[in-house]
Amino acid sequence: MTLMDPRLQEALDGERDPATLPPGLREAFARLAAAAQLLQEPPAVSVADRVMEQIRREASVPAVSPVGAALRLARWLARPRAVTLRLRPAWTLAIAAALAVVVLLPLGESVTPGEKEGIAQFVGHFPGARSVEVVGTFNDWRRGALPLSDEDHDGIWHGAVVLPAGQHEYMFVVDGERWVADPLAGRYVDDGFGAGRQNALLIVRP
Amino acid sequence: MRLLVAFALAAGSLAAQSPHARLEGRVPAAALPGIDSLIAQAAAESLPTEPLVQKALEGGAKGIPVKRLVNGVRHGLVQLRDARAIVSRSTPDRAALDGDVASVAAALARGLDPQLVERLLTGAPPPGEPPGPVLHAAADLVAHGFPADSAADLLRTAQQEGLHGPRLLDVAVAASHELQREGGRTPVEALARVRAMLPNVPVAAPPHPRAVTRRPGPGS
Repeated sequence: MTLMDPRLQEALDGERDPATLPPGLREAFARLAAAAQLLQEPPAVSVADRVMEQIRREASVPAVSPVGAALRLARWLARPRAVTLRLRPAWTLAIAAALAVVVLLPLGESVTPGEKEGIAQFVGHFPGARSVEVVGTFNDWRRGALPLSDEDHDGIWHGAVVLPAGQHEYMFVVDGERWVADPLAGRYVDDGFGAGRQNALLIVRP
Repeated sequence: MRLLVAFALAAGSLAAQSPHARLEGRVPAAALPGIDSLIAQAAAESLPTEPLVQKALEGGAKGIPVKRLVNGVRHGLVQLRDARAIVSRSTPDRAALDGDVASVAAALARGLDPQLVERLLTGAPPPGEPPGPVLHAAADLVAHGFPADSAADLLRTAQQEGLHGPRLLDVAVAASHELQREGGRTPVEALARVRAMLPNVPVAAPPHPRAVTRRPGPGS
């Protein structure tokens, strides 16, 4: 530690006239006196003043003002932000597959019948079946056009379709080979091929 | 949406095809000449041909042997002729419509007596009303064991009370519900109960499935 010259200390304490100091000490006295002066006077605009001024300005805008809220929201939305995205390939592929299913599959599509159309609902109990479909006059007895579904695997297969109002003959085809007249149809008609087999008959109401 | 458009285009293009083109590849080649001949006869007699095309497609899809398949289509042609004769007798003042003939043929296929069908057609249906609903209502009643004449009387009364079209099917449903009611009713009692309700028989509840798709292909 460097000790201060006692003559300089006395001058700083006002006990000695600074003019009586030797030139080197007189210069040191002038620098120290200027520094002391600077510490005694507060800065023209302090940090505290700037902070308080900002708080006062923001407080002057009502918190519930829709305009203020909108401005703050707009500023928040417009302000660029850095986002870090960390992808796991397995999850990414799963999400992409789920989106593809939702976009591409027509299942669950809601359709409103026209004036001369109605909704036909098909339900069949076929426990253990691998597939059930409906074929009939409404699809030229063509296979594969109207498959039923059993999402919860309880053996109850169902489906619904918009058809023209009127009568339609149909059959269920179970596992692609077994032809079954809908046990719940309530109406049946001889199929005319001579073996005593019947088609289910559906009457669609407009 | 693309799927619906595809269905619509397919339906349009197939409907425009000739019967022969629709059947080719769908029925055994050996059956095709006989079926073509029967369809040509129907067309020559101004009978609807679509029921015969459908019967042939059905037989092809079911794998019915050739002889029985052709016989099945022939049986359909005979029913159409019978049906047209009934329609012509019932409404002699106008030409028989294809739809009416097909409806009557369907009623005959369901086992309705031709005389009962004729009686229902000459009853009190509003002019121009398709006969399908009243015929199916009668067939439903007969299938549930109601006497044919009493069933026809009930339906005629319902028509006079202002019920028509699919509402006549509600009459048949109401009668079968009365028959199944606890305590037991005879068919005659059930019909009397429904007659007393007319015209206020309950309306059938429409189906409310979770998901509905468009018609899955061309049809009749």
